[in-house]
Amino acid sequence: MSSKYIALPKGVSEKSFDAAIKEYRAVLGEANVFTDSEHLASYSKIMIPDITENHTPSAAICPASVEEVQACVAICNKYKVPVWPISTGRNLGYGSAAPCSRGQVVMDLRRMNKIIEVDAELGTALVEPGVTFQQLYDYLQEHKIPLWLSCPAPSAIAGPLGNAVDRGVGYTPYGEHFMFSCGMEVVMPTGEVLKTGMGSLPNSNTAQVFKWGYGPYLDGIFTQSNYGIVTKMGFWLMPAPPAFKPYVIRYPEETDIVDIVETLRPLRMAMIIPNAVVIVHALWELGSFLKRSEHYPGTGTIPDSVVKDLVKKHKVGMWNVYCGLYGSPEQNEVNWNIIQNVVKASGKGELLTAEQVGDDPVFKYRADLMQGKMNTAEFGLYNWRGGGGSAWFAPVSQARGSETLKQMDMAKRILGKYGFDYVSEFIVGWRDMHHIVDLLYDRTDPAQLEAARACFDELLTEFSKAGYGTYRVNTAFMDKVADTYGPVKREINRKIKRALDPNGIIAPGKSGIWN
Amino acid sequence: MKPKASSRATITMMAAAVAVLSVWSHPASAQVAGQWKDPNHVYAKICSNCHDIGVGPVIKGRNLDPDYYFQVVRHGMRAMPAFRPTDVDDAMLHRLAETLSKSAPPGGPK
Ligand SMILES: Cc1cc2nc3c(=O)[nH]c(=O)nc-3n(C[C@H](O)[C@H](O)[C@H](O)COP(=O)(O)OP(=O)(O)OC[C@H]3O[C@@H](n4cnc5c(N)ncnc54)[C@H](O)[C@@H]3O)c2cc1C
Ligand code: HEC
Repeated sequence: MSSKYIALPKGVSEKSFDAAIKEYRAVLGEANVFTDSEHLASYSKIMIPDITENHTPSAAICPASVEEVQACVAICNKYKVPVWPISTGRNLGYGSAAPCSRGQVVMDLRRMNKIIEVDAELGTALVEPGVTFQQLYDYLQEHKIPLWLSCPAPSAIAGPLGNAVDRGVGYTPYGEHFMFSCGMEVVMPTGEVLKTGMGSLPNSNTAQVFKWGYGPYLDGIFTQSNYGIVTKMGFWLMPAPPAFKPYVIRYPEETDIVDIVETLRPLRMAMIIPNAVVIVHALWELGSFLKRSEHYPGTGTIPDSVVKDLVKKHKVGMWNVYCGLYGSPEQNEVNWNIIQNVVKASGKGELLTAEQVGDDPVFKYRADLMQGKMNTAEFGLYNWRGGGGSAWFAPVSQARGSETLKQMDMAKRILGKYGFDYVSEFIVGWRDMHHIVDLLYDRTDPAQLEAARACFDELLTEFSKAGYGTYRVNTAFMDKVADTYGPVKREINRKIKRALDPNGIIAPGKSGIWN
Repeated sequence: MKPKASSRATITMMAAAVAVLSVWSHPASAQVAGQWKDPNHVYAKICSNCHDIGVGPVIKGRNLDPDYYFQVVRHGMRAMPAFRPTDVDDAMLHRLAETLSKSAPPGGPK
């Protein structure tokens, strides 16, 4: 069966799709609707362990305004065409810009890139989906507004809205991004425009300062979901502190993870350490600037002994804890003394400041991220193994030493079975940690792709058996993870979906939610 | 904000800071298809993030074919993400490809 399309939406005939495409073109203009393989290539490239064909879109439509989004949604309803909304579309290692199932139309919101308002006094911003962190950063610089962003490691090329609706994280005190969002505008599957929180009140000026509004708090149901298309989102931005002091604490042994967590948790909970600290494993630290093949000729998991040698050679820790002090110089001095004493009393860990570390690109990139500056050095991780394969395995852990050790052992054992490396970090929340493992593999090697798929599957199975859920997952494993959270949750998600989106047109399958 | 703590605005200064600023596609922070000033702007805001720090190979001054640049950017390449026509449209991407193809190596003659 030959078709003029590279894929078709499930259950939609070519004739019907022709009609839908014609209508999208009438609304958006020829130049903003893509069905050819050359342009769709940029919407199809994935890094996750699944074949590209399972995620090939049928088209990409690129509205530039809320009205255009509404018009597209009406066409989708008319022809029952599913659309997968993306904002800046850099969900690399979680599915990139590609839809979770073959044939969905990508709705690319990148052209909607207005910074609608920045309130320098209240420290708030209201942005559209296509705004990148770089754009917002440049805007603040240009207008000399002393507010800081919090961004994920892809910083420059990703965006605040897309990252926050997928509940991503950064490294400043505002690092839990959805927590620091305030107010949304959402195009519902019916085409209505909902403003959440205080925003639904006509003439309200409190939409970006008070999150809850009146009645049920709805913002959460539009994150990691398919209940609507978010077209604006408010954020709280951190006042630039008068002084910032980044530091690293290096630990020599893998089992030190227990003491690290036990030592730091009280400081984090008391906000003496105010930011989303990272505890970075040696393989992540080294992997961001070394090539594996130059240090280990084997194809299987890199042996612990080789890692130990590399740690010594490159003078990094087996664990490297990156933190920052944010405040006036006097405040920082007080907290610095507390931290020094606590680390000293624990009898472990080498505490180093920027001056002591000197010219170290890894320290620099961590320091940049802890102050919301653009720095994409972390992409160096993809040169560790090479070949462009990456899947983030992201179980949540209690911030408790014994738990982190247990998770580390489990992850290492399962990765080892398949010949992959434990490239990991823990991002510390107030009481939880995001345990992030980058399952790096060579995507150009079909055997590795298959091994990575099987390994990821087993990681999910074993961790959920032990009671550990993942905070976010790539588009190939959304059903599996939805199942780990149990049938009641899954059914309620589906009931909400059916009530709000009877035709099932928005991102079917996102987070395992189908009609 | 400059990274120097001493020159950074204090909290007091901030309280007295600018009132609400409202912008619609402000030129200098406009960074999407159709808004780029020129190919160098695209390079500075996208490519240089990885290609000037060693994450990706040096791509200036190598006499690479313009079409090769075009293809790599649209398709991505292993570790390199693909960039969409909404990031950089075809016309600007062709200009960028031409510019890079003729460019001098970094640090070399300007
Ligand atoms: C080297 C590297 C490091 C990374 N580090 C981090 C990190 O530190 N923290 C982190 O969180 N992530 C990290 N990531 C993962 C990812 O790149 C980021 O989370 C990135 O911010 C997501 O892409 P985006 O911001 O362009 O969002 P998008 O890709 O635009 O959106 C993400 C998802 O949200 C949904 N969505 C987007 N827009 C809408 C909308 N308008 N309405 C409804 N649903 C929508 C879609 O399902 C979409 O797939 C990293 C990736 C790499 C490669
Ligand atoms: C997020 C990081 C990143 C960004 C941003 C990026 N690249 Fe790349 N690029 C890479 C990496 C990594 C490679 C090497 C890929 C590999 O070999 O696995 C690469 C490879 C390339 C190559 C092939 C070089 C060769 O030696 O064959 C070209 C050409 C290229 N990039 C052009 C660009 C252009 C033009 C831009 C800006 C529009 C850009 N890249 C933006 C990371 C990036």
